[in-house]
Amino acid sequence: MLRVTNLKAAYGKIEALHGISFHVEKGEIVTLIGANGAGKSTTLKALMRLPPPESAVVTAGDIEFDGVSILGVSAHNVVSDLKMTLVPEGRHIFGNLTVMENLQLAAWSRKDKGAAKDIDRIFDIFPRLAERAKQHSDTLSGGEQQMLAVGRALMTKCSVLLLDEPSMGLAPLIMYDMFRTLKKLNADGLTIVVVEQNARLALEVADRAYVLDTGEIIAEGPAGDLLQKPEIRAAYLGA
Amino acid sequence: MELFLQQCVNALQWGSFYALIALGYTLVYGVLRLINFAHGDIFMVGAYIAFFVSTALLAPGLGLSREWTLALTIPLTMILTSLVGVTLERIAYRPLMRKGAHRLYVVVTALMCGLVLENGNLALLGASRKTLPQLLEKNVYDFGGIAVTNLKLWVIFAAALVFLVLHFVVTKTRIGMAMRAVSWDKFALPLMGIPLDSVIVFTFTLGSGVAGLGGMLFAMSYPVLEPYMGAMTGWKAFIAAVVGGIGDIRGAFVGGFLLAFVEIMVAAFLPSTFRDLFAFSILLLILWRRPTGIFGKPQTTKI
Repeated sequence: MLRVTNLKAAYGKIEALHGISFHVEKGEIVTLIGANGAGKSTTLKALMRLPPPESAVVTAGDIEFDGVSILGVSAHNVVSDLKMTLVPEGRHIFGNLTVMENLQLAAWSRKDKGAAKDIDRIFDIFPRLAERAKQHSDTLSGGEQQMLAVGRALMTKCSVLLLDEPSMGLAPLIMYDMFRTLKKLNADGLTIVVVEQNARLALEVADRAYVLDTGEIIAEGPAGDLLQKPEIRAAYLGA
Repeated sequence: MELFLQQCVNALQWGSFYALIALGYTLVYGVLRLINFAHGDIFMVGAYIAFFVSTALLAPGLGLSREWTLALTIPLTMILTSLVGVTLERIAYRPLMRKGAHRLYVVVTALMCGLVLENGNLALLGASRKTLPQLLEKNVYDFGGIAVTNLKLWVIFAAALVFLVLHFVVTKTRIGMAMRAVSWDKFALPLMGIPLDSVIVFTFTLGSGVAGLGGMLFAMSYPVLEPYMGAMTGWKAFIAAVVGGIGDIRGAFVGGFLLAFVEIMVAAFLPSTFRDLFAFSILLLILWRRPTGIFGKPQTTKI
């Protein structure tokens, strides 16, 4: 579904990705793990085709979606036409809009009439959001904001969901809830790529994983295998 | 008392002009965090476009009646003026922002664009002043000793109508929702499948179109046009937008009417040379007590 080959990307003169290759198949949960500054967020933003300066410029390699290069596609078309979107690090919800408005706005590019029904579905998944529908979203707690960020992404009717550090700043219980929800969405057919610093959690839910280190992929394989590897355990799981 | 009420009517008229310009400043600032200093000159361009359009429509070739000319000049002026505003965004601001230029450079570019519009006008059309043809038969109504022309009523009505329409667009429509979203977080907008550029172009269209209407109404009230007519009026409208709380369309209106009210009252009851001194001192006092303006909220930066 998604195939990245030899991707190099740079912020100005500083190269952040030194030729990484990976692929994601339909229906999978794939995780990219690695330390701060390894290039995980850069990879996701490159997949979304976000423009600089927030995102790095691709200097070599290719990103294919269903076999077609998407390097020339702009970010809003990645969402509207390819049905892939990103829950960014730090959530980036629209705090001056109500919860409801955040969800409605995300249905912008959809041509079908099912938006209202999908809002109900998201309220089913995250009942807390239903309680706070009319509230300005900057008044939500961190966990609720993360729910809104995921709910908002689902409103685009995406078939591939990229998540950047969904566990950041969440209390452990809420964090586990969030990953359980992701697992459920995946069971319903959503393809998920998740970037995480909490490597243990990510490896427990993912099918396959890639380990990124300073812009290069240094290990890959089924998530369960990586979870057992002594060097991965030592470097990323603190055990 | 009658003099005071008479001056109130005048203040409402001037406030309408300020408000119609201030709106453009505030809309663009809300979306791009950019002070579009060319905006006062967009107002001037609007007045000139109204002049050319109405003169052409009245000319023997077409020979439309005054009523039809007025009815057609309003939308044509708004459309053509918004094209000028959108062109500035497209050729001057967007390329800079695309390259990640600091906002300060874009603001300076906007100042330069304003000067280009002023002096380009002078170079192309010469220094002789233009006079807008009379489009509206002048009627003076007498409300218990207070004389009000029909034009003044139309100006005030137009400003109020524009406010209601814009308020509706910003708070109730999807594109308005997107405009508010951009002002909070530009990064996340494309992730919702929304093209950021369309929202920006729409904002410039609204702001410039309304300034064009303001320019036309101003030229109908004070029919002599000159290239620098947008400079001082534009500055004052900018100040009105800041005092009202820039980024908030209610602020643009309240600020515009407040500034006009102070100016007119000072000129009416004190030596008129004190006008700007008093007006700006009062505005300074307001900003001292409320640094974010009347409707403005303090900005917090997320870390």
